[in-house]
Amino acid sequence: MTHHTEVFEGGTIDIEDDTSLTINGKEISYVHDAVKNKWSSRYLPYTQYDSLLDLARAIIRDTVEFSGVKE
Amino acid sequence: MAIRKDANTLTAAERAEFVAAIRVLKAEGIYDRFVLRHANANMSAIHRCSAFLPWHRRFIYDLELELQRVSGNPNLGIPYWNWPSGSANASMWNDDLLGGNGDAGGVVRTGPFRSGQWTVINSSGLPAGPLMRAFGQNGLPTLPTQAAINQVMAVTPYDTSPWNMNSNPSFRNQLEGWIGPNLHNRGHVWVGGSMLPMTSPNDPVFFMHHCMVDKIWHEWQLRFPNQGYLPASGGPFGQNLTDPMGSTPSGQVGSRPIDVLDSAALGIVYDDAAPQPQPQPEIPLIVVGADPIAAAIGVPGETDVFRFEVPAFGAHTMYTLGSSDTFMTLFGPNDPNFEVASDDDAGEGFNAQINRNLSAGTYFLRVRLYSPNSTGNYAVGVRAVSATPGPGPGPVPIPELIVNGVGIDASISAANESDVYRFNVTTGDFYTIQTNGTTDTFMSLHGPNSQIPEIASNDDSGISFNALIRRQLSPGEYFVRVRHYSPSGTGAYSVRVTQG
Repeated sequence: MTHHTEVFEGGTIDIEDDTSLTINGKEISYVHDAVKNKWSSRYLPYTQYDSLLDLARAIIRDTVEFSGVKE
Repeated sequence: MAIRKDANTLTAAERAEFVAAIRVLKAEGIYDRFVLRHANANMSAIHRCSAFLPWHRRFIYDLELELQRVSGNPNLGIPYWNWPSGSANASMWNDDLLGGNGDAGGVVRTGPFRSGQWTVINSSGLPAGPLMRAFGQNGLPTLPTQAAINQVMAVTPYDTSPWNMNSNPSFRNQLEGWIGPNLHNRGHVWVGGSMLPMTSPNDPVFFMHHCMVDKIWHEWQLRFPNQGYLPASGGPFGQNLTDPMGSTPSGQVGSRPIDVLDSAALGIVYDDAAPQPQPQPEIPLIVVGADPIAAAIGVPGETDVFRFEVPAFGAHTMYTLGSSDTFMTLFGPNDPNFEVASDDDAGEGFNAQINRNLSAGTYFLRVRLYSPNSTGNYAVGVRAVSATPGPGPGPVPIPELIVNGVGIDASISAANESDVYRFNVTTGDFYTIQTNGTTDTFMSLHGPNSQIPEIASNDDSGISFNALIRRQLSPGEYFVRVRHYSPSGTGAYSVRVTQG
C-alpha cells in the first residue's frame, strides 16, 4: 500500500495506492485512458496528464474550485 | 440571421456592440447561466464524444439569440476566432474587444473583461476571482495552422466506434483534438487560465473559439454532404442522431443532434465564401417494385443514401438483401432529416427490413453496416405491399389490437427494437391504450390512417413503469409503437386498447 501526500500551491494532495485521489479532503473522480496511459478529470476536460499526481497539481493550479487566485 | 465574422475584421462599432451585449448578459445573470450549463454538464456527454459538435453548436446558437435580443440587432453573430491569424498580437486581443494576455500571475488587466470589471464564477455559481489567461504557457505554445485545419477537413467519416477520444478515423475526434494535429483542445490550452476547466465559458473568447469549431464543421458538412452524423443509432444514449442531448434546454430548436445539423436552417451565415462542395452524385432513386439496387459499403463507417417516391398512401416494405449485416434508417416524407423508423435484423439473415404505411411523398433510406469497422456488398429495394408480388421478401403484417379485446403479449427482445400495432376506431370516443408487465415501456400513438403523425406519447402513466395514453379519437386506423424506455433495454409486456 502506498500513500503520497504533498501540499502544492496551498492545496493538499493525497494519493493512496496510485488510485484514490483527494484534494483538500475532497475525493476527485478521474478517468484513466488505458490506450494512452494518461489521466484526466472532468475538472480539466481538454487535457490529459502523464500521472495522477500531474493531474492533481493541474487541478489545483488551473481550476477556480481549487485555485487560490483572488483579486 | 446571424452573420458570423472573423473577429479580427470587426469594425470599431461592431466590437463595441458585441462587448456591450456580452456585458448586458453578464449583468442580467444570463451569461453566468451559460457558464453553469457547460460547467455542470456530464463531461462525457458533451466532450470526447460524438455529440461534442452538435452540443456546442446549439450552445453558442442559444447565446447568439440572447446577444441579438439585448443588442436589438437580429443579425448580430458571434465573431469567430480564426486561429491561424489569431495569435497574441492579433487585433481581437486589443482593449476594445477581448483584452490581452494575463500578467505574470495570469490575471487579465486590460480590456473590457479585465480584473475589476469581470468576475468569473465557479461551478457552484459563486464568484471566483478575475479572468485568467496565460497564452502559450501550458505546453502548447502555438495555435492551429491552416495546414492543420486543411488536414482535418479531409477526414471522414464524421465519427466512428467507440465514439470517444480513441475513435479513429473520425473527423469529430480530430477536430476536438484527441487525435491528429489537435485543433479545439489546443485553443483552450493555448489561452490557458480560465479556458482550461469546465467553467471555460467564463472567458468570452470561449464563444469565439467554438464559433470557429462550428464553422469548420459547417464547411466539412458542405464538402461531404453524403457523410452524415454518426452514430445514427446504436451508440451511447445521448449520442445518437435522434437522442436528446444532455444539458440542453428546450428552445427554438430541438435538443437532438439531428435538430442542429443544418447551420443554414438555423439562420447562420459566415462572412467568407463557403467552400464549394465537392461534386456529389445525385442520390440514387429506388423505383418502388423494381429489382433492388446493388450497392456496397466500400469504406468502414460509410453510409449510403437512397430516395424513393410514394405516389399515394399505402403499406410499403423497405429491405436489404445479401450477406452483409446492414442497418437501415427511413426518413421522410420530403425531409431527409426526419427519421421515421430504423431496423437492424428484421429481414432475412442479418438484413434490415422496415414495414410501414407511408403517405405520399419522397422518402430517404440511409444504409450502413451494423459494424462501423466493416465493408461489404448488399442490395436495397422497396415494394408496395398491395402491388403484384415482386422481388424481395414479403411484408410482415402489423398485428391488430381489437378494441376491448384481449391484449397482445409481446417483448422487446433486442436493443433499440420497437413493436408496432394497429387498431381501428369505428366510433368517435375516448380510447385508452396501455401496457402491462414489469418492463419500463415507452409508447407513442400515431394516425389516423398513417404511422407518421404522432398524436401522443407516454412513458410512465400506467401501472408502475408502464405507459398509458388516453385520447379522444375520430374514426380511422391508428398505430401504436412500443419500445423500451432505455435504448438498450429488453423485456416482456402486453398491450391492450379499451374504449372509454
